[in-house]
Amino acid sequence: MLLWVGVLIAGGFGAVLRFLVDGAVARRAARSFPFGTLAVNISGAALLGLLGGLALNRHAALLADTAFVGSYTTFSTWMLETQRLSEERQLRSAVANLVASIVLGIAAALLGQWIAGQL
Amino acid sequence: MNEPCLKLTTYFGERQRVVTDHARRPGFLADAMLDLFDTREVATSVMLRGIASFGLRHVLRTDESLSLSEDPPVTIAAVDVESKISDLVDEVVAMTSHGLVTLERARLVRSDDMLDVGINDAVKLTVYVGRQERIGGLPAYRAVCDLLYRHGFSGGSVFLGVDGTAHGERYRARFFSRNVNVPLMIISIGTPAQVLAAVTELTAAAPKPLLTVERVRLCKRSGQLFARPHRLPDTDDRQRPLWQKLMVHTSEATSHGGLPVHRALVHRLLDSGMARGATVLRSIWGFNGDHKPHGDKLFQLTRRVPVVTIIIDTPEWIARTFEIVHELTAEHGVVTSEMVPAVMSIAGPDHVGDTRLARHDY
Repeated sequence: MLLWVGVLIAGGFGAVLRFLVDGAVARRAARSFPFGTLAVNISGAALLGLLGGLALNRHAALLADTAFVGSYTTFSTWMLETQRLSEERQLRSAVANLVASIVLGIAAALLGQWIAGQL
Repeated sequence: MNEPCLKLTTYFGERQRVVTDHARRPGFLADAMLDLFDTREVATSVMLRGIASFGLRHVLRTDESLSLSEDPPVTIAAVDVESKISDLVDEVVAMTSHGLVTLERARLVRSDDMLDVGINDAVKLTVYVGRQERIGGLPAYRAVCDLLYRHGFSGGSVFLGVDGTAHGERYRARFFSRNVNVPLMIISIGTPAQVLAAVTELTAAAPKPLLTVERVRLCKRSGQLFARPHRLPDTDDRQRPLWQKLMVHTSEATSHGGLPVHRALVHRLLDSGMARGATVLRSIWGFNGDHKPHGDKLFQLTRRVPVVTIIIDTPEWIARTFEIVHELTAEHGVVTSEMVPAVMSIAGPDHVGDTRLARHDY
Protein backbone atom coordinates (compact mmCIF):
# COMPACT_ATOMS: atom_id res chain seq x y z
CA MET A 1 0.00 0.00 0.00
CA LEU A 2 2.75 2.41 1.05
CA LEU A 3 4.59 1.56 -2.16
CA TRP A 4 1.62 2.61 -4.28
CA VAL A 5 1.35 5.89 -2.42
CA GLY A 6 5.02 6.33 -3.24
CA VAL A 7 4.33 5.65 -6.94
CA LEU A 8 1.57 8.24 -6.81
CA ILE A 9 3.84 10.87 -5.29
CA ALA A 10 6.92 10.11 -7.42
CA GLY A 11 4.73 10.11 -10.54
CA GLY A 12 3.23 13.43 -9.53
CA PHE A 13 6.66 14.99 -9.05
CA GLY A 14 7.78 13.67 -12.43
CA ALA A 15 4.79 15.22 -14.17
CA VAL A 16 5.24 18.61 -12.48
CA LEU A 17 8.97 18.61 -13.25
CA ARG A 18 8.24 17.88 -16.90
CA PHE A 19 5.78 20.74 -17.07
CA LEU A 20 8.35 23.15 -15.58
CA VAL A 21 11.31 21.99 -17.70
CA ASP A 22 9.31 21.78 -20.93
CA GLY A 23 7.77 25.22 -20.38
CA ALA A 24 11.08 26.87 -19.45
CA VAL A 25 12.98 25.43 -22.43
CA ALA A 26 10.18 26.06 -24.94
CA ARG A 27 9.66 29.62 -23.75
CA ARG A 28 13.37 30.39 -23.97
CA ALA A 29 13.70 28.85 -27.42
CA ALA A 30 10.44 30.45 -28.68
CA ARG A 31 10.68 28.43 -31.89
CA SER A 32 8.28 26.17 -33.73
CA PHE A 33 10.49 23.15 -33.10
CA PRO A 34 9.44 21.45 -29.83
CA PHE A 35 12.74 21.84 -27.98
CA GLY A 36 10.99 21.57 -24.60
CA THR A 37 9.71 18.04 -25.18
CA LEU A 38 13.03 17.03 -26.74
CA ALA A 39 14.93 18.28 -23.68
CA VAL A 40 12.59 16.39 -21.36
CA ASN A 41 12.81 13.13 -23.29
CA ILE A 42 16.58 13.21 -23.74
CA SER A 43 17.26 14.07 -20.09
CA GLY A 44 14.74 11.40 -19.06
CA ALA A 45 16.47 8.78 -21.23
CA ALA A 46 19.85 9.65 -19.71
CA LEU A 47 18.40 9.45 -16.20
CA LEU A 48 16.72 6.13 -16.91
CA GLY A 49 19.96 4.76 -18.38
CA LEU A 50 21.78 5.85 -15.24
CA LEU A 51 19.17 4.37 -12.87
CA GLY A 52 19.04 1.15 -14.87
CA GLY A 53 22.83 0.85 -14.67
CA LEU A 54 22.74 1.30 -10.90
CA ALA A 55 20.78 -1.97 -10.47
CA LEU A 56 18.48 -0.67 -7.73
CA ASN A 57 16.26 -3.01 -5.74
CA ARG A 58 12.77 -3.87 -6.98
CA HIS A 59 10.84 -1.22 -5.04
CA ALA A 60 13.32 1.58 -5.58
CA ALA A 61 13.37 0.80 -9.31
CA LEU A 62 9.56 0.93 -9.44
CA LEU A 63 9.54 4.33 -7.77
CA ALA A 64 12.46 5.89 -9.61
CA ASP A 65 12.15 4.33 -13.06
CA THR A 66 8.53 3.56 -13.69
CA ALA A 67 6.88 6.22 -11.55
CA PHE A 68 9.25 9.19 -11.64
CA VAL A 69 11.02 8.97 -15.01
CA GLY A 70 7.95 7.33 -16.57
CA SER A 71 5.79 10.36 -15.87
CA TYR A 72 8.62 12.81 -16.52
CA THR A 73 9.20 11.73 -20.11
CA THR A 74 6.40 11.75 -22.65
CA PHE A 75 5.82 9.72 -25.76
CA SER A 76 2.35 11.12 -26.40
CA THR A 77 3.49 14.77 -26.48
CA TRP A 78 6.33 13.84 -28.81
CA MET A 79 3.82 12.27 -31.21
CA LEU A 80 1.26 15.08 -30.88
CA GLU A 81 3.81 17.83 -31.52
CA THR A 82 5.21 15.95 -34.51
CA GLN A 83 1.71 15.68 -35.93
CA ARG A 84 1.13 19.42 -35.32
CA LEU A 85 4.31 20.24 -37.22
CA SER A 86 3.26 18.12 -40.16
CA GLU A 87 -0.26 19.56 -40.34
CA GLU A 88 1.35 23.00 -40.67
CA ARG A 89 3.50 21.67 -43.53
CA GLN A 90 6.75 21.83 -41.55
CA LEU A 91 7.73 18.37 -42.74
CA ARG A 92 11.46 18.90 -42.27
CA SER A 93 10.95 19.86 -38.63
CA ALA A 94 8.57 16.94 -38.12
CA VAL A 95 11.07 14.41 -39.48
CA ALA A 96 13.93 16.10 -37.60
CA ASN A 97 11.89 15.82 -34.41
CA LEU A 98 11.48 12.06 -34.92
CA VAL A 99 15.07 11.38 -35.93
CA ALA A 100 16.71 13.67 -33.35
CA SER A 101 14.63 12.23 -30.52
CA ILE A 102 15.55 8.66 -31.43
CA VAL A 103 19.26 9.23 -32.09
CA LEU A 104 19.86 11.57 -29.15
CA GLY A 105 17.60 9.48 -26.91
CA ILE A 106 19.53 6.26 -27.47
CA ALA A 107 22.82 8.10 -27.09
CA ALA A 108 21.60 9.66 -23.83
CA ALA A 109 20.49 6.28 -22.45
CA LEU A 110 23.89 4.79 -23.33
CA LEU A 111 25.66 7.73 -21.73
CA GLY A 112 23.59 7.29 -18.56
CA GLN A 113 24.45 3.61 -18.44
CA TRP A 114 28.12 4.34 -19.00
CA ILE A 115 28.15 6.90 -16.17
CA ALA A 116 26.48 4.36 -13.87
CA GLY A 117 29.19 1.84 -14.79
CA GLN A 118 31.89 4.32 -13.80
CA LEU A 119 30.38 4.93 -10.36
CA MET B 1 -31.15 51.43 -37.10
CA ASN B 2 -27.64 52.24 -38.06
CA GLU B 3 -26.19 53.66 -34.89
CA PRO B 4 -22.74 54.75 -33.87
CA CYS B 5 -21.44 52.04 -31.62
CA LEU B 6 -18.33 51.07 -29.78
CA LYS B 7 -16.47 47.80 -29.96
CA LEU B 8 -14.71 46.84 -26.73
CA THR B 9 -12.04 44.19 -27.25
CA THR B 10 -9.92 42.57 -24.57
CA TYR B 11 -6.89 40.33 -25.07
CA PHE B 12 -5.53 38.17 -22.21
CA GLY B 13 -4.55 34.65 -21.12
CA GLU B 14 -7.43 32.22 -20.61
CA ARG B 15 -6.33 31.02 -17.16
CA GLN B 16 -6.28 34.52 -15.75
CA ARG B 17 -8.61 35.10 -12.80
CA VAL B 18 -10.65 38.14 -11.90
CA VAL B 19 -9.14 40.88 -9.76
CA THR B 20 -11.27 41.10 -6.61
CA ASP B 21 -10.65 41.79 -2.96
CA HIS B 22 -13.35 39.58 -1.45
CA ALA B 23 -13.76 36.16 -3.10
CA ARG B 24 -11.41 33.52 -1.68
CA ARG B 25 -10.97 31.86 -5.05
CA PRO B 26 -11.91 34.34 -7.77
CA GLY B 27 -13.46 32.99 -10.98
CA PHE B 28 -11.94 33.10 -14.44
CA LEU B 29 -11.73 36.56 -16.01
CA ALA B 30 -13.33 35.47 -19.29
CA ASP B 31 -16.32 34.08 -17.39
CA ALA B 32 -16.74 37.19 -15.26
CA MET B 33 -16.52 39.44 -18.30
CA LEU B 34 -19.22 37.49 -20.15
CA ASP B 35 -21.35 37.52 -16.99
CA LEU B 36 -21.07 41.29 -17.00
CA PHE B 37 -22.01 41.49 -20.69
CA ASP B 38 -24.94 39.17 -19.97
CA THR B 39 -26.35 41.26 -17.10
CA ARG B 40 -25.96 44.45 -19.13
CA GLU B 41 -27.56 42.72 -22.14
CA VAL B 42 -24.80 43.67 -24.56
CA ALA B 43 -26.09 43.38 -28.14
CA THR B 44 -23.29 41.12 -29.27
CA SER B 45 -20.14 39.74 -27.70
CA VAL B 46 -18.02 36.76 -28.56
CA MET B 47 -15.09 35.04 -26.92
CA LEU B 48 -12.48 33.55 -29.25
CA ARG B 49 -9.56 31.30 -28.34
CA GLY B 50 -6.30 32.13 -30.13
CA ILE B 51 -3.56 29.77 -31.29
CA ALA B 52 -0.55 32.01 -30.57
CA SER B 53 0.20 35.33 -28.97
CA PHE B 54 2.60 37.43 -27.00
CA GLY B 55 2.10 40.65 -25.10
CA LEU B 56 4.03 43.34 -23.29
CA ARG B 57 5.89 40.78 -21.16
CA HIS B 58 7.01 39.02 -24.37
CA VAL B 59 5.88 35.63 -23.11
CA LEU B 60 4.95 33.41 -26.04
CA ARG B 61 1.76 31.37 -25.92
CA THR B 62 1.38 28.87 -28.74
CA ASP B 63 -0.52 25.70 -29.49
CA GLU B 64 2.57 24.24 -31.17
CA SER B 65 3.82 23.00 -27.82
CA LEU B 66 1.64 21.24 -25.27
CA SER B 67 3.12 23.08 -22.27
CA LEU B 68 2.86 26.52 -23.87
CA SER B 69 -0.76 25.93 -24.92
CA GLU B 70 -1.97 25.28 -21.39
CA ASP B 71 -2.86 28.99 -21.01
CA PRO B 72 -4.05 29.98 -24.50
CA PRO B 73 -4.71 33.58 -25.56
CA VAL B 74 -8.32 34.69 -25.67
CA THR B 75 -9.93 37.73 -27.12
CA ILE B 76 -13.40 38.95 -26.27
CA ALA B 77 -15.12 41.49 -28.50
CA ALA B 78 -18.33 43.25 -27.43
CA VAL B 79 -20.33 45.67 -29.55
CA ASP B 80 -23.19 47.91 -28.47
CA VAL B 81 -24.27 51.55 -28.49
CA GLU B 82 -21.74 54.05 -27.17
CA SER B 83 -23.44 54.76 -23.85
CA LYS B 84 -23.70 51.10 -22.89
CA ILE B 85 -20.09 50.23 -23.74
CA SER B 86 -18.75 53.40 -22.07
CA ASP B 87 -20.46 52.35 -18.85
CA LEU B 88 -18.77 48.93 -19.00
CA VAL B 89 -15.20 49.94 -19.73
CA ASP B 90 -14.11 50.88 -16.22
CA GLU B 91 -15.47 47.63 -14.80
CA VAL B 92 -13.71 45.57 -17.47
CA VAL B 93 -10.41 47.36 -16.80
CA ALA B 94 -10.85 46.91 -13.04
CA MET B 95 -11.35 43.14 -13.27
CA THR B 96 -8.29 42.58 -15.52
CA SER B 97 -4.83 42.12 -14.04
CA HIS B 98 -2.87 41.60 -17.27
CA GLY B 99 -4.02 42.29 -20.79
CA LEU B 100 -4.98 44.78 -23.42
CA VAL B 101 -8.30 46.63 -23.64
CA THR B 102 -9.18 48.51 -26.82
CA LEU B 103 -12.11 50.64 -27.92
CA GLU B 104 -12.99 51.15 -31.57
CA ARG B 105 -15.79 52.93 -33.37
CA ALA B 106 -18.12 50.70 -35.35
CA ARG B 107 -21.62 50.84 -36.74
CA LEU B 108 -24.16 48.22 -35.75
CA VAL B 109 -26.56 47.46 -38.56
CA ARG B 110 -29.80 45.92 -37.36
CA SER B 111 -32.07 46.26 -40.38
CA ASP B 112 -31.79 47.22 -44.02
CA ASP B 113 -32.11 50.94 -43.34
CA MET B 114 -29.86 53.14 -45.39
CA LEU B 115 -26.33 52.21 -44.55
CA ASP B 116 -23.76 54.94 -44.79
CA VAL B 117 -20.42 53.27 -45.32
CA GLY B 118 -18.79 56.44 -46.57
CA ILE B 119 -16.30 56.78 -49.36
CA ASN B 120 -13.45 54.93 -47.68
CA ASP B 121 -11.18 52.66 -49.62
CA ALA B 122 -12.33 49.56 -47.75
CA VAL B 123 -14.85 48.45 -45.16
CA LYS B 124 -14.64 45.63 -42.65
CA LEU B 125 -17.97 43.87 -42.36
CA THR B 126 -18.41 41.61 -39.33
CA VAL B 127 -21.36 39.23 -39.18
CA TYR B 128 -22.38 37.32 -36.05
CA VAL B 129 -24.42 34.12 -36.47
CA GLY B 130 -25.22 31.14 -34.24
CA ARG B 131 -23.16 27.95 -34.68
CA GLN B 132 -26.06 25.84 -35.91
CA GLU B 133 -28.13 28.62 -37.43
CA ARG B 134 -29.16 27.92 -41.03
CA ILE B 135 -29.84 30.17 -44.00
CA GLY B 136 -31.48 28.65 -47.06
CA GLY B 137 -30.70 25.05 -46.03
CA LEU B 138 -26.99 25.72 -45.49
CA PRO B 139 -25.20 26.35 -42.21
CA ALA B 140 -25.43 30.14 -41.83
CA TYR B 141 -21.67 30.71 -41.76
CA ARG B 142 -21.24 28.89 -45.05
CA ALA B 143 -24.15 30.74 -46.63
CA VAL B 144 -22.66 34.05 -45.50
CA CYS B 145 -19.21 33.14 -46.85
CA ASP B 146 -20.67 32.09 -50.18
CA LEU B 147 -22.52 35.38 -50.38
CA LEU B 148 -19.39 37.41 -49.55
CA TYR B 149 -17.36 35.43 -52.06
CA ARG B 150 -20.02 35.99 -54.72
CA HIS B 151 -19.90 39.73 -54.10
CA GLY B 152 -16.13 39.68 -54.68
CA PHE B 153 -14.92 40.42 -51.14
CA SER B 154 -11.14 40.34 -50.64
CA GLY B 155 -11.52 37.80 -47.86
CA GLY B 156 -13.82 36.38 -45.24
CA SER B 157 -13.08 34.11 -42.26
CA VAL B 158 -15.33 32.41 -39.72
CA PHE B 159 -14.11 32.33 -36.11
CA LEU B 160 -15.59 29.90 -33.62
CA GLY B 161 -16.88 31.59 -30.48
CA VAL B 162 -16.80 29.57 -27.25
CA ASP B 163 -18.97 31.96 -25.29
CA GLY B 164 -20.85 35.16 -25.96
CA THR B 165 -24.06 37.13 -26.08
CA ALA B 166 -26.43 37.74 -29.00
CA HIS B 167 -29.23 40.30 -28.79
CA GLY B 168 -28.44 40.57 -25.06
CA GLU B 169 -28.78 36.82 -24.30
CA ARG B 170 -25.89 34.70 -23.07
CA TYR B 171 -24.95 31.63 -25.12
CA ARG B 172 -22.11 29.54 -23.82
CA ALA B 173 -20.64 26.48 -25.53
CA ARG B 174 -20.91 23.20 -23.57
CA PHE B 175 -19.40 19.82 -24.31
CA PHE B 176 -22.71 17.92 -24.28
CA SER B 177 -24.83 20.34 -26.23
CA ARG B 178 -25.63 21.24 -29.82
CA ASN B 179 -24.58 24.81 -29.01
CA VAL B 180 -27.11 26.12 -31.51
CA ASN B 181 -26.86 29.81 -30.66
CA VAL B 182 -23.25 30.09 -29.51
CA PRO B 183 -21.99 32.95 -31.67
CA LEU B 184 -19.60 32.68 -34.59
CA MET B 185 -17.84 35.78 -35.87
CA ILE B 186 -17.36 36.28 -39.60
CA ILE B 187 -14.82 38.97 -40.47
CA SER B 188 -14.69 40.16 -44.08
CA ILE B 189 -13.08 42.93 -46.11
CA GLY B 190 -14.78 44.54 -49.09
CA THR B 191 -15.27 47.80 -50.95
CA PRO B 192 -18.08 50.11 -49.76
CA ALA B 193 -20.21 49.05 -52.75
CA GLN B 194 -19.66 45.33 -52.09
CA VAL B 195 -20.49 45.76 -48.40
CA LEU B 196 -23.65 47.72 -49.22
CA ALA B 197 -24.85 45.00 -51.58
CA ALA B 198 -23.94 42.20 -49.16
CA VAL B 199 -25.69 43.88 -46.24
CA THR B 200 -28.88 44.36 -48.25
CA GLU B 201 -28.88 40.70 -49.23
CA LEU B 202 -27.96 39.48 -45.73
CA THR B 203 -30.65 41.46 -43.96
CA ALA B 204 -33.20 40.03 -46.39
CA ALA B 205 -32.00 36.42 -45.96
CA ALA B 206 -31.46 36.26 -42.19
CA PRO B 207 -34.26 36.97 -39.75
CA LYS B 208 -32.29 38.84 -37.08
CA PRO B 209 -28.82 39.57 -38.42
CA LEU B 210 -26.12 41.12 -36.27
CA LEU B 211 -23.75 43.10 -38.45
CA THR B 212 -21.15 45.73 -37.81
CA VAL B 213 -19.22 47.85 -40.30
CA GLU B 214 -15.91 49.57 -39.64
CA ARG B 215 -13.67 51.72 -41.75
CA VAL B 216 -10.32 50.15 -42.68
CA ARG B 217 -7.57 50.68 -45.22
CA LEU B 218 -6.77 47.79 -47.54
CA CYS B 219 -2.96 47.77 -47.55
CA LYS B 220 -2.18 44.56 -49.42
CA ARG B 221 -3.89 41.75 -51.26
CA SER B 222 -2.22 38.67 -52.75
CA GLY B 223 1.19 40.29 -52.62
CA GLN B 224 0.08 43.53 -54.24
CA LEU B 225 0.73 46.68 -52.19
CA PHE B 226 -2.11 49.20 -52.42
CA ALA B 227 -1.17 51.59 -49.64
CA ARG B 228 0.88 51.63 -46.48
CA PRO B 229 -1.02 52.18 -43.22
CA HIS B 230 -1.93 55.84 -42.61
CA ARG B 231 0.92 57.62 -40.89
CA LEU B 232 -1.02 58.97 -37.92
CA PRO B 233 0.36 61.43 -35.35
CA ASP B 234 1.13 60.03 -31.89
CA THR B 235 -1.71 61.98 -30.27
CA ASP B 236 -4.84 63.83 -31.31
CA ASP B 237 -5.55 67.56 -30.77
CA ARG B 238 -6.35 66.95 -27.11
CA GLN B 239 -3.15 64.98 -26.50
CA ARG B 240 -4.96 61.65 -26.32
CA PRO B 241 -2.76 58.89 -27.73
CA LEU B 242 -3.66 57.33 -31.07
CA TRP B 243 -3.10 53.67 -31.81
CA GLN B 244 -3.30 51.54 -34.91
CA LYS B 245 -4.22 47.96 -35.67
CA LEU B 246 -2.95 45.72 -38.45
CA MET B 247 -4.89 42.61 -39.37
CA VAL B 248 -2.96 40.12 -41.46
CA HIS B 249 -5.25 37.54 -43.07
CA THR B 250 -3.25 34.57 -44.33
CA SER B 251 -3.83 30.88 -44.89
CA GLU B 252 -2.39 27.96 -42.95
CA ALA B 253 -1.36 26.68 -46.38
CA THR B 254 0.98 29.56 -47.25
CA SER B 255 4.46 29.66 -45.82
CA HIS B 256 7.47 31.89 -45.52
CA GLY B 257 10.86 30.28 -45.00
CA GLY B 258 9.33 26.88 -44.23
CA LEU B 259 6.97 28.21 -41.57
CA PRO B 260 3.31 29.17 -42.00
CA VAL B 261 3.24 32.96 -42.47
CA HIS B 262 1.47 33.60 -39.16
CA ARG B 263 4.07 31.56 -37.21
CA ALA B 264 6.94 33.33 -38.96
CA LEU B 265 5.30 36.68 -38.27
CA VAL B 266 4.90 36.05 -34.54
CA HIS B 267 8.55 34.93 -34.28
CA ARG B 268 9.80 37.94 -36.22
CA LEU B 269 7.77 40.36 -34.11
CA LEU B 270 8.88 38.69 -30.89
CA ASP B 271 12.51 38.85 -32.05
CA SER B 272 12.14 42.54 -32.96
CA GLY B 273 11.96 43.10 -29.21
CA MET B 274 9.87 46.25 -29.38
CA ALA B 275 6.50 45.12 -30.75
CA ARG B 276 3.86 45.43 -28.03
CA GLY B 277 2.13 42.20 -28.94
CA ALA B 278 0.26 40.08 -31.44
CA THR B 279 -2.55 37.54 -31.34
CA VAL B 280 -3.27 34.85 -33.93
CA LEU B 281 -6.77 33.46 -34.40
CA ARG B 282 -7.45 30.40 -36.55
CA SER B 283 -10.73 30.30 -38.42
CA ILE B 284 -12.85 27.24 -39.16
CA TRP B 285 -14.02 28.27 -42.62
CA GLY B 286 -13.36 31.05 -45.09
CA PHE B 287 -11.57 32.35 -48.14
CA ASN B 288 -8.68 34.58 -48.99
CA GLY B 289 -8.25 36.09 -52.44
CA ASP B 290 -9.52 33.87 -55.23
CA HIS B 291 -9.89 30.56 -53.41
CA LYS B 292 -13.43 29.36 -52.86
CA PRO B 293 -14.58 29.27 -49.24
CA HIS B 294 -13.29 26.12 -47.55
CA GLY B 295 -12.55 24.58 -44.17
CA ASP B 296 -10.48 21.76 -42.77
CA LYS B 297 -11.56 18.15 -43.11
CA LEU B 298 -11.59 15.54 -40.38
CA PHE B 299 -9.12 13.35 -42.24
CA GLN B 300 -6.37 15.43 -43.76
CA LEU B 301 -2.65 15.72 -43.36
CA THR B 302 -2.27 19.48 -43.52
CA ARG B 303 -4.36 22.49 -42.51
CA ARG B 304 -5.54 25.07 -45.03
CA VAL B 305 -7.99 27.32 -43.15
CA PRO B 306 -7.53 31.11 -43.00
CA VAL B 307 -5.88 32.64 -39.95
CA VAL B 308 -5.65 36.26 -38.86
CA THR B 309 -2.81 37.91 -36.97
CA ILE B 310 -3.84 41.01 -35.03
CA ILE B 311 -1.16 43.57 -34.17
CA ILE B 312 -1.93 46.67 -32.09
CA ASP B 313 0.74 49.29 -31.50
CA THR B 314 1.59 52.99 -31.57
CA PRO B 315 1.62 54.69 -35.01
CA GLU B 316 5.41 54.75 -35.01
CA TRP B 317 5.70 51.02 -34.38
CA ILE B 318 2.92 50.11 -36.77
CA ALA B 319 4.95 51.80 -39.52
CA ARG B 320 7.97 49.63 -38.59
CA THR B 321 5.92 46.49 -38.09
CA PHE B 322 4.30 46.93 -41.48
CA GLU B 323 7.70 46.49 -43.14
CA ILE B 324 8.00 43.05 -41.50
CA VAL B 325 4.43 42.20 -42.51
CA HIS B 326 5.12 43.46 -46.05
CA GLU B 327 8.14 41.19 -46.38
CA LEU B 328 6.31 38.10 -45.10
CA THR B 329 3.20 38.62 -47.25
CA ALA B 330 5.18 38.87 -50.50
CA GLU B 331 2.79 36.61 -52.39
CA HIS B 332 -0.27 35.86 -50.28
CA GLY B 333 -2.56 37.41 -47.76
CA VAL B 334 -4.78 40.40 -47.14
CA VAL B 335 -3.45 43.17 -44.87
CA THR B 336 -5.64 45.94 -43.46
CA SER B 337 -4.93 48.82 -41.13
CA GLU B 338 -7.25 50.91 -38.99
CA MET B 339 -7.12 53.51 -36.28
CA VAL B 340 -7.74 52.45 -32.68
CA PRO B 341 -8.89 55.49 -30.71
CA ALA B 342 -8.37 54.08 -27.22
CA VAL B 343 -6.03 51.42 -25.82
CA MET B 344 -5.29 50.54 -22.22
CA SER B 345 -2.55 48.03 -21.53
CA ILE B 346 -2.69 46.54 -18.07
CA ALA B 347 0.22 44.86 -16.31
CA GLY B 348 -0.68 44.45 -12.64
CA PRO B 349 -0.82 47.90 -11.02
CA ASP B 350 0.61 49.55 -14.14
CA HIS B 351 -2.07 50.95 -16.41
CA VAL B 352 -0.68 52.51 -19.56
CA GLY B 353 -3.01 54.31 -21.94
CA ASP B 354 -6.39 55.91 -21.80
CA THR B 355 -9.92 54.57 -22.22
CA ARG B 356 -11.19 57.99 -23.32
CA LEU B 357 -11.50 57.96 -27.08
CA ALA B 358 -9.16 60.01 -29.20
CA ARG B 359 -10.63 61.81 -32.19
CA HIS B 360 -8.70 62.22 -35.40
CA ASP B 361 -9.81 62.63 -38.99
CA TYR B 362 -7.63 61.00 -41.58
